[in-house]
Amino acid sequence: MYKLLLSWRYLKTRFIALASIVSVTLGVATLIVVNSVMAGFVDQMKNRLHGILSDVEISTQMFSEIPHPERHVEIIKDLLGDELENATCVVRTPALLSFDVRGRQWTQQVMLLGIDDATFGKVTDFEPYLTNEIKQTRFSFDLEESGYSQKKFKGDAGWAYRRSRIEIQRRIEQNNREYKQLYDNAAAAYLDSAPSLVDAETNDQATPKQVAGIQFAPLPDQLPDIESEFAADDSAGEWQNDSGDKITEGYNPSDSLVKHHQQQTEEGVIHRFSPFDPHAQYRPEISKEELFDPMRDQRTGIILGLAISERKAETPTGEIQDVYLIRPGDDANIMLTTIGDSPTPVIENCTVVDFYSSNMHEYDSSFAFLPLASLQKLRGMVDPLTGDGSVSTIQIKLKPGADLDAVRDKLIAQFPPTYFPEYDIRTWQDTQRPLLSAVKMELTILNILLFLIIAVAGFGILATFYMIVVEKTKDIGILKALGAPSRGVMSIFLGYGMSLGTVGTGTGILIGLLFVRHINEIADGVAWLTGQEVFDATIYYFSEIPTSINPGTIFWVGIGAIAIAVLASVLPALRAARLHPVEALRYE
Amino acid sequence: MSDVAQSQPGQLEPNTLAKPDVRIRIKAQASPATTNGGGGTPLRIANSSVMSVKSLYKSYGKASVKVPVLKGVDLEIFEGDFTAIIGQSGSGKSTLLHLLGTLDAPDSGEIYYREQRIDNLPSRHKEHLRNRQFGMIFQFYHLLPELTTLENVLIPRMVQDGFFRYMKNKRGYRKRAIELLEMVGLGHRLTHKPNQLSGGEMQRTAIARSLISDPSVLLADEPTGNLDSENGREVMDTLTALRKNENLTVIMVTHDDSLASKADRVIQLVNGKVAGI
Repeated sequence: MYKLLLSWRYLKTRFIALASIVSVTLGVATLIVVNSVMAGFVDQMKNRLHGILSDVEISTQMFSEIPHPERHVEIIKDLLGDELENATCVVRTPALLSFDVRGRQWTQQVMLLGIDDATFGKVTDFEPYLTNEIKQTRFSFDLEESGYSQKKFKGDAGWAYRRSRIEIQRRIEQNNREYKQLYDNAAAAYLDSAPSLVDAETNDQATPKQVAGIQFAPLPDQLPDIESEFAADDSAGEWQNDSGDKITEGYNPSDSLVKHHQQQTEEGVIHRFSPFDPHAQYRPEISKEELFDPMRDQRTGIILGLAISERKAETPTGEIQDVYLIRPGDDANIMLTTIGDSPTPVIENCTVVDFYSSNMHEYDSSFAFLPLASLQKLRGMVDPLTGDGSVSTIQIKLKPGADLDAVRDKLIAQFPPTYFPEYDIRTWQDTQRPLLSAVKMELTILNILLFLIIAVAGFGILATFYMIVVEKTKDIGILKALGAPSRGVMSIFLGYGMSLGTVGTGTGILIGLLFVRHINEIADGVAWLTGQEVFDATIYYFSEIPTSINPGTIFWVGIGAIAIAVLASVLPALRAARLHPVEALRYE
Repeated sequence: MSDVAQSQPGQLEPNTLAKPDVRIRIKAQASPATTNGGGGTPLRIANSSVMSVKSLYKSYGKASVKVPVLKGVDLEIFEGDFTAIIGQSGSGKSTLLHLLGTLDAPDSGEIYYREQRIDNLPSRHKEHLRNRQFGMIFQFYHLLPELTTLENVLIPRMVQDGFFRYMKNKRGYRKRAIELLEMVGLGHRLTHKPNQLSGGEMQRTAIARSLISDPSVLLADEPTGNLDSENGREVMDTLTALRKNENLTVIMVTHDDSLASKADRVIQLVNGKVAGI
């Protein structure tokens, strides 16, 4: 009883000891904040990683294939039974994406996924990450009239945007035709009038002559080659429209691959829309291409990761502005190789129908999605006899609570590496193991370092307590003279240390939780005070600092901090217990 | 927490003036108890020895610089007596009192309390003795500065009982503590801290504290040494009154002959030896 009473009284009257546990408070608060932010970050990351990766997947190398995917899915269904939620077939291949940005060609590598629009969204969190609200609920590879959310990207998109672009382009082409006509007329008129000016002896048309005192402009050596002129025009490719916006033209005739493909394609001449094509009138057949009206029709739909198009730019005034290289409604080229013995490059003209924005930069900057059937056809993965397509990956989603590793092992047993060496079966955690374990390692080291801070605080407590024991020597003597055992005296100081630790830890937990709760406001406040952005959205691709509070972590942090405080008070308490009562009483 | 020694066969009830709550059992080392109160009316045995000391030696300091303080003290304290131990500074009277109160251990010699040897007891039995059988008063009062007068008086009871037991008995203890404080004339000072009290008041609080466990021996180490004559006389009056009312054996160390003259017996210590009784 006296132990409790005295611990409590010392707590109330020794404020210097309270000061010594401020470091415990700060250490605990820091631990909680750091753990919560790291856990929030990991949670978000896991969510996003998991979102597109599905639970378990069977994949093959880039140039291998899984034939008869439907049969595989049936086997998997039989094997996993109730554990299986859904499975989908995917073709995954690296490809080159190219499109025009202000007249310059932009080419970059993408990870192209051919997805089955019926099942892909049921296996991965795909649809919620699309920017178009209609597609989020009713997915298709069609360009939409509206529904392009302004939350994820700013500006025009969709059919209206496509039509206005084509309209402008057509007007420019019209202007060019008219100009050409004028040019042709002028050239003809010049040539008509030319003979009288031509030197009769040399018949040299190219030599400028001074006739009757009139200086004519020098004639070109040859009449302009219309094709090369327009080709040159194309590659310059940049005009100003009425409103002064720069617009670009989508055709690049220097692309020999395109021409090659145009000639190779069986389904008639699928050349790209260009009124400048001087040979167009000589093409004999009316192809699909000629019936194609870009105002009405779209190419194969493609969904691009938002970060492929989006660039963050800082304006001179310091604002972050988004710049988009390509928008839903624009056309782009996909270039890839077929599979098989002799991979040949193929090219597909696509229309961007939407953006994919998971906020995982790695995915957003590299993923592009095509319809599964189109990609299978493009890569030559369709059996010409049966019409069955093969795939490169089967993604499996399991019911919540299923044991991923067990399922993976079952699948490996079903498709043993001895018979299916090309199959790579792994869970999403296996795929992201390096990243996840790096983050875990980081968190462990941070926790150790922060606990060292609390340990430093422990030494502060030790010093303070030692002083208090010296100060309380007489009281200890009195208690012993009154029959208090050494153990009791010791537990006064241990109890004192524990109550100080509890108070410090409790305050620390409270401060930490409040800090975590208002972390974004605090970050804004710090940014306002210092003028320095604390959390730069352009770097992290999180709009705000993610946090996740784990009660278990808080519990163990609290226990650890209190234990350190108690341990720090053991030495002073031992000293108090060992004091000789007579010596202590003589102490004045 | 005070120790509750287990009752074991072969152990004796050494306390002839046993209070109902006394639970100490001390291993029999001397002859069996001559008297037995049996929980009934306390017996007053005339001239029976409460404490006795046989050839007690005590010195302080390390081997090379040993300062002998007690050089063979023999004495006996009788039941119900007011014994004063007087002597010059450095004559060893405070040391003797500390030894009697088991606060310190002698180099050699024997101390008996009710015919039990107590100088070589295990520490938990000594703690028990200090808590129940001996009340102690010091020259510098030695109150705990963080606690109120009432709490200071209750401290021995808190030391004696565990938390739950104390809580159970709290009402009775408080009543007794207030009674004692009223007896020493401090009924109006219950919630004052020691630094708000005068020297005399502090010493009277210390007296109340020494009585809360109903001890049979009161050990007072120069209780008036730090007080003016007025307060000193009050404290002495309290002590003498107590001796009569509470049936206490009082051993008081002092260097003041006038105070010693009020005692039944005076033991004079000179240079670590008993010079006269």
